[in-house]
Amino acid sequence: MTTGGWIFLIFGWGVVIFLVLYCMKKVFEKGTGFE
Amino acid sequence: MNTRQRWATRIGLILAMAGNAVGLGNFLRFPVQAAKNGGGAFMIPYFISLFLLGIPLMWVEWSIGRYGGKFGHGTSPGMFDKLWKNPIAKYLGIIGLAGPVAIVLYYTYIESWTLGYALYSLFGKLPQVPQGADLQKINEIFGTFLSSYAGFNSDSTIFLRPSFFAYAIFLMTLGLNVFILARGISGGIETFAKFAMPTLFLFAIILVIRVLTLGSPVDPNVSVLDGLGFLWNPDFSSLLNPNVWLAAAGQMFFTLSVGMGAILTYASYLREKDDIALSGLSTASLNEFAEVVLGGSIAIPAAVAFFGLANAKNIAASGAFNLAFVSVPAIFSFLPLGFLFGFLWFALLFFAGITSSLALTQPAIAFLEDEFNIKRKYAVIGVGVFIFIFAHISIFIKGALDELDFWVGTFFITFFALLETIIFIWIFGPDKAWEEINKGADIKIPKIFYFILKYVTPVILIVIFTAWIFQNFGVVVKETSPGKWIARIFLISFFVFTGVMVFIAFKKEKKS
Repeated sequence: MTTGGWIFLIFGWGVVIFLVLYCMKKVFEKGTGFE
Repeated sequence: MNTRQRWATRIGLILAMAGNAVGLGNFLRFPVQAAKNGGGAFMIPYFISLFLLGIPLMWVEWSIGRYGGKFGHGTSPGMFDKLWKNPIAKYLGIIGLAGPVAIVLYYTYIESWTLGYALYSLFGKLPQVPQGADLQKINEIFGTFLSSYAGFNSDSTIFLRPSFFAYAIFLMTLGLNVFILARGISGGIETFAKFAMPTLFLFAIILVIRVLTLGSPVDPNVSVLDGLGFLWNPDFSSLLNPNVWLAAAGQMFFTLSVGMGAILTYASYLREKDDIALSGLSTASLNEFAEVVLGGSIAIPAAVAFFGLANAKNIAASGAFNLAFVSVPAIFSFLPLGFLFGFLWFALLFFAGITSSLALTQPAIAFLEDEFNIKRKYAVIGVGVFIFIFAHISIFIKGALDELDFWVGTFFITFFALLETIIFIWIFGPDKAWEEINKGADIKIPKIFYFILKYVTPVILIVIFTAWIFQNFGVVVKETSPGKWIARIFLISFFVFTGVMVFIAFKKEKKS
């Protein structure tokens, strides 16, 4: 695994983990049910 | 008229939608595509495709679905009819109704293999690999096992001869699908998704931890880090190759399970003011987590650690089935508690499969309920019997499964995605479409997505569809065998039959 490989792994994982955490935070803020 | 069902909770809907999107491709197709197309550098076109194609298409499908549900239509013929006041619109929608059912005819069978293999693994019935066996020997052992399971080794030129166990497990899998669907949207699909999706993620996380702690299991000079390197080390020269960009866009398209009609139907059970912007984004994000983080860290890294880089390249080139049913079980058979890890692997594939087959079956049920006022119980039984009868084509006829997959699993879904985007964005109108997407939104969608939806997403879809036809169409159409012709004749008959059903349904609606 090269340094470039690590950078792209962190980038790839980072993007999707950020997206999941952002969405879940918003979902729990706005409510997990329907009004 | 039947009262339309509703999702009970938003989290249940997101999990059911994520269940539809997360499939075998997340764990098998993605790592192979990434390794073949520039490694880490592949992630650049891949994420660009996520923002220009994947997420916009998600919003388009969720919006069309919710819009159609407002008028009591849960499938694309009725939805297209409301979006485009043209008599042809409802007939174009046939693809989003017949397509998913045709996919289920072979998908349920493949799904049943994963259940069969999970049980085989749990009870120690998978083949044992002798110490020191090389890759060729392993391929021979597990390949022969798969051939006798699915009956590929039949002497007949037309018929396959699957094992009794394979057939029995198929019946069990179909029965489970029917059972869950009969319990309804909230009581069946949603309840099951709330159990299956967390379980799938848990199993995958256990397997990722096991694979990443393999160290150097065979050769001290080759470790699992080399496996991650195979997937992530960037080859920037690949970015100059247009096929790499096409592969990334294609992977994004297939992984989100768009263009199948299933998302439209699921979204039709939303209320008019329910959010779709955040829920759609959440679905895409969960799918990407399952693909990039989990899918990329199991099969290919383990294959490199055990068989070395050169052999892993051959495994990757040999296709998803080989990776799932030959290489990965062989790898786990070398490990202590290998039966358990093998079980977790096939069980997670089974959960990925069944949550998708439920979504793909629902449009046909919704059509019978919405357009013919048939009670859900009878609609589910009717569709279940249809699947049972015609699934025999892919179970017993040589070459039929691949042929069905080519047409309904690749050609029609690409075409349908292009069609629905054009109808929704260009014909229904970009301003009305944008308003529809933002209605009840719990997040503010950046205005740039208006331009992406209007110009970029349709153009990318046109490019994918054209390039794909250019590369594959001629080759596949020229292929002939009795099995392929049986599949083609069946598909034409089925689409005509669906067209007649749509005609009758709308004649009834006009009268009433």
